[in-house]
Amino acid sequence: MAQGATAVAAPVGARPVVGLALVGGVLLVALLAGGVDGHLGVFWLLGVAFGVILQRSRLCFASAFRDLFLLGEGRALRAVLAGLAVATAGFWLFQQRLVPDPGLGDLPGRAHVFPVGLHTLVAGLLFGFGMVLAGGCVSGTLYRLGEGYIGSWAALGGILVGLFAAGRTWNWWWQVHISQTPLIWLPRWLGFGGALLLTLAGLAGVYLLVLWWEARGAPPLLPVRTTLTPPAFGVRDHLARLWGLLFGRGWPITSGAIALGVLNVFAYVFDHPLGVTGELATWSARLGTALGWPLPPLQGLDRLAGCNLVAEGGALLSDSFFLDAGLVVGALTAAVLAGEFRLRWPRQARRYLQSVAGGVCMGYGAGLATGCTIGAFFSAIPSLSLSGWVFGLALAGGAFLGGRVLRWLA
Amino acid sequence: MELDVRGEICPYPMLKTVEFLKQHPGIAALTVLTDHSPALATIPWEAAKLGYEAEIETLGPAEWRIRLRKAAGAVDPRAVLSRLAHTLAQAGEGGV
Repeated sequence: MAQGATAVAAPVGARPVVGLALVGGVLLVALLAGGVDGHLGVFWLLGVAFGVILQRSRLCFASAFRDLFLLGEGRALRAVLAGLAVATAGFWLFQQRLVPDPGLGDLPGRAHVFPVGLHTLVAGLLFGFGMVLAGGCVSGTLYRLGEGYIGSWAALGGILVGLFAAGRTWNWWWQVHISQTPLIWLPRWLGFGGALLLTLAGLAGVYLLVLWWEARGAPPLLPVRTTLTPPAFGVRDHLARLWGLLFGRGWPITSGAIALGVLNVFAYVFDHPLGVTGELATWSARLGTALGWPLPPLQGLDRLAGCNLVAEGGALLSDSFFLDAGLVVGALTAAVLAGEFRLRWPRQARRYLQSVAGGVCMGYGAGLATGCTIGAFFSAIPSLSLSGWVFGLALAGGAFLGGRVLRWLA
Repeated sequence: MELDVRGEICPYPMLKTVEFLKQHPGIAALTVLTDHSPALATIPWEAAKLGYEAEIETLGPAEWRIRLRKAAGAVDPRAVLSRLAHTLAQAGEGGV
């Protein structure tokens, strides 16, 4: 139900002029960045699409895990599982071209195959707890910035602090634990067929588990009054209806998650899978240096892909910068076109503290896992990496704990 | 009665609505003001569990009024679910 049933009329208060100006700006940046380096332009557009998808379908990984425990409801998590299945199929096809014989021990280039160990569990628990406390994960925080949520700036500040703390302690983690943990890429052990079968079976198994979990507390459901769509006559009517589908009401969340899965395949085929925290880590390191507290040289990063603590060698205008900036601007553009942009200030001071604290936990977890719900989960499971599953399991544990704490803070 | 949860993000708009309904048992109607769109899905859903029907009105950019009304009589969830599915199919809405 949800989006389909909650009839929100055509955009009220949409600002088409501002919206068109933003669309023009998006295209202009694409041309300028693409002129400097084609990669930058493409990652800018991927980022914009990322932001539009998250904003229109309100795809929030924090709620996907949290609502399972808070409401006994798994609609968003089931949508994420569908998106993961789509991305897995695409990644799987592409990886067979990258590494024709997986048994030799080569890893597929920039796939998100991360070390699995105790640190993956610690990172997932911290991240899951933090995202529930802050009301959104890292990508969620970025798209809410674009929608005008002021509290998300507090969460972003917390994330930067957490990433910086992770940078300060990284070498300890590396020496004591991470350097001894394995990178487990499933096709190496199971072949491509086995890895695909196991991943899809795992996703289907979790899907069934979520359905069972939801059915335990099956709610009596009342209809929300809906307005019937009148028939469309002619091109004009059809275009108006299309506009209404895109910007009149939210997209069904499953469509959003599947679109994100497809976008992730595009990103991977073009260069590397989606990931948003690496860029933020770079900024936290820059801010640290500016404040006279630079990070020490970090060990072992040459052996890791994904959202490393110092991304892209620290270049200012990088793929990851354009992806993150595009995410915020894409969400802003979609929100303006849909008439949903609005500056929203939390009315209780403690909400800011809550966002900062949640952000710090998330940032530290993302630093340790070399990725967030996107890089270490939504890109890792389709990369056929075991680390994505362990991180996802720990995210659920952290979200459970976060849900407990939330009620005290109401 | 009116409950203003503007400025709050998930899950607080829903938690506060449910808390209000539970603190005022049998209340016939409640109007909830919100500026957080995910609450448009969670509030009707949770209110339905307590026997309330929901209607949503858009007030302006990212501002909505959710009117909750106590449903008359007992409700058979199965019949209601199939009716809802039918209505949504006719409206060309996929649901989920």
